[in-house]
Amino acid sequence: MDNVGVRFEFDRLGRVITPVLSHIRRVKAEAWGLRHLDLHVEPGEALGVVGRTGSGKTTMLRVMAGVMLPDEGTADVDGTIGSLLATGAGVGMLLTGRENTELLGVLAGLTLEETRERIDEVAERSKLGDAFDRPVHTYSEGMRARLGFAVIQLTEPSILLLDEVFEALDHEFRAKVEDYGRGIRDRGGIVVAAGHDHTALERIAPRGLLLEGGHVKAEGPFAEVISTYLPERPDDVERLGAGIEDG
Amino acid sequence: MPGLGARIRRSWDVLVVLARSDMQVRYGRGTFRILKWLLDPLAALGIYLVLISLVLGRGGTAVGLSIACAVVPFQLIATTMQNALQSVSLRSSIIVNMSFPRMLIPASSLATETVAFTATLAVIPVMMVIYGVAPTAAVLWLIPALLATAAFALALAYPAALIGVWYPELQPFAGSFVRTMFFIAPGLVALEDITGTTRDLLPLNPLTGIFESFRDALLYGHAPAAWQILAPLGAAALLLALILPVFRREESQLAKLVG
Repeated sequence: MDNVGVRFEFDRLGRVITPVLSHIRRVKAEAWGLRHLDLHVEPGEALGVVGRTGSGKTTMLRVMAGVMLPDEGTADVDGTIGSLLATGAGVGMLLTGRENTELLGVLAGLTLEETRERIDEVAERSKLGDAFDRPVHTYSEGMRARLGFAVIQLTEPSILLLDEVFEALDHEFRAKVEDYGRGIRDRGGIVVAAGHDHTALERIAPRGLLLEGGHVKAEGPFAEVISTYLPERPDDVERLGAGIEDG
Repeated sequence: MPGLGARIRRSWDVLVVLARSDMQVRYGRGTFRILKWLLDPLAALGIYLVLISLVLGRGGTAVGLSIACAVVPFQLIATTMQNALQSVSLRSSIIVNMSFPRMLIPASSLATETVAFTATLAVIPVMMVIYGVAPTAAVLWLIPALLATAAFALALAYPAALIGVWYPELQPFAGSFVRTMFFIAPGLVALEDITGTTRDLLPLNPLTGIFESFRDALLYGHAPAAWQILAPLGAAALLLALILPVFRREESQLAKLVG
């Protein structure tokens, strides 16, 4: 990502204005979700992104996923993307797990035929049991995340993007996601994970990135980035540092 | 860059899953939904029939079939537009999470409602039997009439999808706008029964061509006039030529609008 900026414009009622809409409605305020972001993640790397709510983590991941285009600069992403940009992101609440698998598998890049052939894999991997054929609104947050993650695995992505996913997962499934992320990294892929569960992020990503107000505030080894982010919490930093040495 | 064949196949698959999931969300599952697709136009038909025959005391040739020739194609246009108004917001969770061709979202509204519409079409032979109108070779003109109807519905779906996210508060107004179009077309009374300036002005509404082409093919048993097919097709082409570049620009902004 070179000098990437994502701008949000608002009208007087606080509604988002797009470039086309700006011909009809007057722009009253603007905010940059990201600004002057330079970031290069090489194959085989994993990046843990931290920062306060509203710091630009989700916007950055959305640009990486191709969901949003930058208003400034350029973003080049080379690889097959698997994105879970919220727990159960993309999962339709009124659809069953099976129906969601068909929808999300195709949207993620598989053909309809491939997706249908592999639906049972998702049922097995997500460990949802009978709930797989029930509407997703009956699921817990963790179950939705499991479903979304199991669908991602179908596409065998070389780039895995995770946003605040670990927070909703139980320990068993969290370990699976971490293992899967490490597997992608070891095979020369890329993992970018953002969130507030710093322990989980540190286990998956040796490199850290701290965003603040849409800008990069710190970048480097994860424990150092955390010490910049949370200087008033040295216990966290020491624990993270120990975790890195142990790992 | 994948080849043209691969891109067409990918677009088709995306369209199918968007429409299938939409249908499951909007209409549920199982055979009962077919009942709903039949009952909706039958209810509208019944109300209009009572209005025309009993309240206004107007007759005409096979009045029920004549109204069905307007209500049935209008059902596809109105439901597609209603669907498209919510098509982006209902898919916000996938729009903010995955990259896929958003241009297909309004098209999927048409695909969903076309499936429902095939059930609705059953109303027409029922009315033909009731009024003792035998089909002629002109029934084949139903194919271009259906294509013109679908093209016009598609052309309305794109602006509707944008209005649905730009001005969500205007969604009820958009619905009223389409219903108004029905009433300023020969929906309840056939064009041949209308006289004066009104008759001259009605063909400006693309729905007039659609309704009259259905009547020609099914009720009067002759080929529709060329303008009846070309007017809605031309209106659709014009609208699409204007709105597709706008939608193309906006598709990369949808995540900001619904995120």
